[in-house]
Amino acid sequence: MSIEAAWWDYDVIVVGSGGAGSAAAQAASERGARVLVVSKDPIGCSDTKISEGKVTVRATGEDSDTEQALSDNLRMGGGSIPDKAITQVFARDNRAAYDWYRQRGARPKVDAKRGGPRPVSIAMGGHTKRRTIGHANSGVALSHATWTAVVQTPRVDYMEDAWFLDVVITEATDVGGQRVVGGIVYDASGGRLVVARAPAVVIAAGGLSTLFFPKTDTMRGNTGDAYAVMARAGADLIDMEQLQFLPFCLTSPPSYEGLLCGEPSVASFMGDLLDKNGKVILDCVMLRTRAECAAAIMLAVEDGRGTTNGGAYLDLTKNAQAPLSGDHFKRYLQQVMPSAYRNVRQAMSKAAGQLKEPWEVRPAAHYMMGGLRADPDGGAFAEESRDAIAGLYAAGQAMGGVFGANRLGSTALAECAIFGIRSGHSAAAHALAHNNKVADAAFQPALAAAAKLFGRDGNQSAAVLKVELQDAAWANIGPVRSVQRLDRFEAVCTRIEAALANVGIPAYSSWNQAFIEYIELANMLVCGRAIAAAARERDGSVGGHVRSDGPQISVFAKPYSTVIRRGEDGMFMARRIGREGLPFGRLGAYLVGDFWRKAKLRVLRRLPAPISDRRIRKHYEAVMNKTVGPLEIEPGSLAGAPAESVQG
Amino acid sequence: MKVEIVTNRDGKVAVVEYDYQSRSVDEKPMVLDVLLQAQLNGHADLAFRYGCRARNCGVCTVDINGRPRLACRARIRDGDRISAMATLPVLADLVVKRDGIARQMRGRMPVQAAGNDLNVEAPEDYHALTACVECYACLHNCPMHAKNLKFDEGGVTAAVAADEGYLWGNPFSLLKLQIVRLDPLSSQAEKDEAVTQARDLGLDVCTNCPGCKCGVGIDLKNKVVKELLDAAGLAAGG
Ligand SMILES: Cc1cc2nc3c(=O)[nH]c(=O)nc-3n(C[C@H](O)[C@H](O)[C@H](O)COP(=O)(O)OP(=O)(O)OC[C@H]3O[C@@H](n4cnc5c(N)ncnc54)[C@H](O)[C@@H]3O)c2cc1C
Ligand code: SF4
Ligand code: SF4
Ligand code: FES
Repeated sequence: MSIEAAWWDYDVIVVGSGGAGSAAAQAASERGARVLVVSKDPIGCSDTKISEGKVTVRATGEDSDTEQALSDNLRMGGGSIPDKAITQVFARDNRAAYDWYRQRGARPKVDAKRGGPRPVSIAMGGHTKRRTIGHANSGVALSHATWTAVVQTPRVDYMEDAWFLDVVITEATDVGGQRVVGGIVYDASGGRLVVARAPAVVIAAGGLSTLFFPKTDTMRGNTGDAYAVMARAGADLIDMEQLQFLPFCLTSPPSYEGLLCGEPSVASFMGDLLDKNGKVILDCVMLRTRAECAAAIMLAVEDGRGTTNGGAYLDLTKNAQAPLSGDHFKRYLQQVMPSAYRNVRQAMSKAAGQLKEPWEVRPAAHYMMGGLRADPDGGAFAEESRDAIAGLYAAGQAMGGVFGANRLGSTALAECAIFGIRSGHSAAAHALAHNNKVADAAFQPALAAAAKLFGRDGNQSAAVLKVELQDAAWANIGPVRSVQRLDRFEAVCTRIEAALANVGIPAYSSWNQAFIEYIELANMLVCGRAIAAAARERDGSVGGHVRSDGPQISVFAKPYSTVIRRGEDGMFMARRIGREGLPFGRLGAYLVGDFWRKAKLRVLRRLPAPISDRRIRKHYEAVMNKTVGPLEIEPGSLAGAPAESVQG
Repeated sequence: MKVEIVTNRDGKVAVVEYDYQSRSVDEKPMVLDVLLQAQLNGHADLAFRYGCRARNCGVCTVDINGRPRLACRARIRDGDRISAMATLPVLADLVVKRDGIARQMRGRMPVQAAGNDLNVEAPEDYHALTACVECYACLHNCPMHAKNLKFDEGGVTAAVAADEGYLWGNPFSLLKLQIVRLDPLSSQAEKDEAVTQARDLGLDVCTNCPGCKCGVGIDLKNKVVKELLDAAGLAAGG
């Protein structure tokens, strides 16, 4: 064996150092566990850090925002597919979990009267209530908190530049099923493999958006390692066809392609979504879900009505040019999406940045709603004890069941804290009760498999194959799908899987990029197969899953989730499990509310301009908090950056 | 467009010339575009870090003609030389070992807020400092950090110091300590301790230094170094 291996012992291994991983590590340590955090990116450098930093906190805007209101909102927004028990826990733990960030330094504006953090001016991202808290410096501010949790918490050790390769499981002869005994890690910085023995592993390794291009500002490391590792361990994954594409992302220049430039809510009252001929392709944009907008754009593109760069126009000019409400709109834009608006100003023309021209936009891959089929503590769920994988947990984006067919805006960062803490506590309890030593032989096969990849001959490049896979994924398992496309995609997977055997990897052990690319490509392939299997099973459109060859699934149909499990041959078997829909009365009320909001907006938009302008101004004045001034500096502002002095 | 990329594989340093193929006539590519294209175009093993492509994650810093820049938002010009940051040990090609910087802060800061009432707003300067994306561009020309790289006493080499966490500080570590001092939820004892820690990391060196520069424009000189020097009763010079 050319690469050496170190053997370590812990109680809990946490994979990932974003919001979910940091919270899990801190929570597990709080319960007395010795924790190892494994992070392939530098500690804290994650989607959590680069996000807009908006966090859902219940009852910050109004008292009527009960636990049931939030839980119903998640379930309805998610096409009735979310797991009821999980959404209830979300609603219950939400406020306390948000304070986890504040205890480590997140300092939002405070509403002194209500005695809590102050929400942004409108209910955004599909929420029925105002309950979204913003932070100066967006997600970067939260990353200081997660950094503190990993670096400063006692009993938490960490390694960065470290790729978690697989969990190791053995038969659990006493209780039936399997149990986790640890994992294998490539320590790129130390130039070695690490066998970490531990009775519990929390997978908080984020999403899989890198399977696609274009994708949003999500980190490159989103290669789906979380899902691939869990699938190889034999765990059930749920709702893997439910992928969120953000509708409004940049189309060019190439360095900016896919970066976030807006949300449905930025369309505000007068925004329009237009095809290349200036024809409206979707009305009431501000009230639509991300999925509806993304699907509308892609269907127009398929129909030959797309813009030069394969997108549509988001026209905000009417909002900005309104004599009375225009300035309010511009401030609102700054306030709700500072980083996205900055992307626009850097990438688009001056006129577009000043809102005098429509923005050319296109969808990009963003967030995986599916993930581990888990109980409300993030533990792998098993219908029967022989299927159990004791000690396997997931939190954050890697966990499924929380959002179903669509995630409401600002709920992901709340999810990280809520289920990070719960999984950490529960993993610690499990580990401390099951910390008997396991024979080293259990780890040998996984260790040997990783070691023998170093110094392997081959003429294929994993980096090149990755791009091929991304293209095929976008075209076939992206925002529009059909059986024909799924067939085509799986054929590409088969071809790339074969090419994988010929990927060359040099023998050196310290930061071996070829090894890293190989591992990530292999994980992306597993994820592609997983999405395709789930997408086949759901033969109609709902939420983030749009089938061009199937019907729209009615909100009154009995809701179900797809569940997939990977077989020995690498193929996934899919089945359905029924979900409990919202009681008819609450479903009806929700739909009537939605219809009513759209009707009101349509009427407002047909009023003579001076009248609608006055009404819109009144709305902004009522809800906008006027004290939010521009920040002195923003991360990445052009004003700063002496080390970068923009060169032409 | 021809650029040079300094590679470093398994300890062997080489300079690779790469000819960037523009994707459109008026393209003004970023450094990261060059690296991504090179990786697909004959340099499959090229090692470099990046994350968000949008100047938020802070991991893509490389030296362009010897000065640190964020690869995803620095335009590249004909003849530019791309190399690893000179201020940290190289792991491969453009990838440096960053770990020793954060690790040196272990145990030097509070684990969590001391105050119980979380409904307190922080001053503007607090937010000015939490804009730090941890890109480590500020290590460039920092004489305090430079002491780590020369450090070779008692058989302890720079590489070992990087593993255990560096002994000497840098603008980033001082910024972290100053954040503690600006947090309304820190206790007085914690604020005092932050100054002690800054001195322990070598704050004295700052008295003879023209001051540091931040990669995203934070006013480190006035908002971090001067504040800490004042609190420690040291006079700024230089
Ligand atoms: C541009 C943008 C804006 C957003 N804005 C918001 C917002 O305003 N509000 C909101 O709620 N949500 C937002 N989101 C979504 C949200 O940021 C993410 O869903 C959330 O941060 C995910 O957190 P996580 O802890 O699950 O994963 P991440 O924060 O992505 O962390 C994943 C961690 O796992 C590590 N990792 C991955 N694979 C491995 C491996 N094999 N071995 C070791 N480590 C590994 C990574 O290095 C990283 O540390 C936004 C996302 C983007 C991209
Ligand atoms: S002022 Fe201090 S921290 Fe800043 S560069 Fe000089 S020595 Fe380094
Ligand atoms: S202080 Fe500035 S230069 Fe230094 S790490 Fe932070 S953002 Fe980068
Ligand atoms: S890639 Fe994130 S800052 Fe450059």
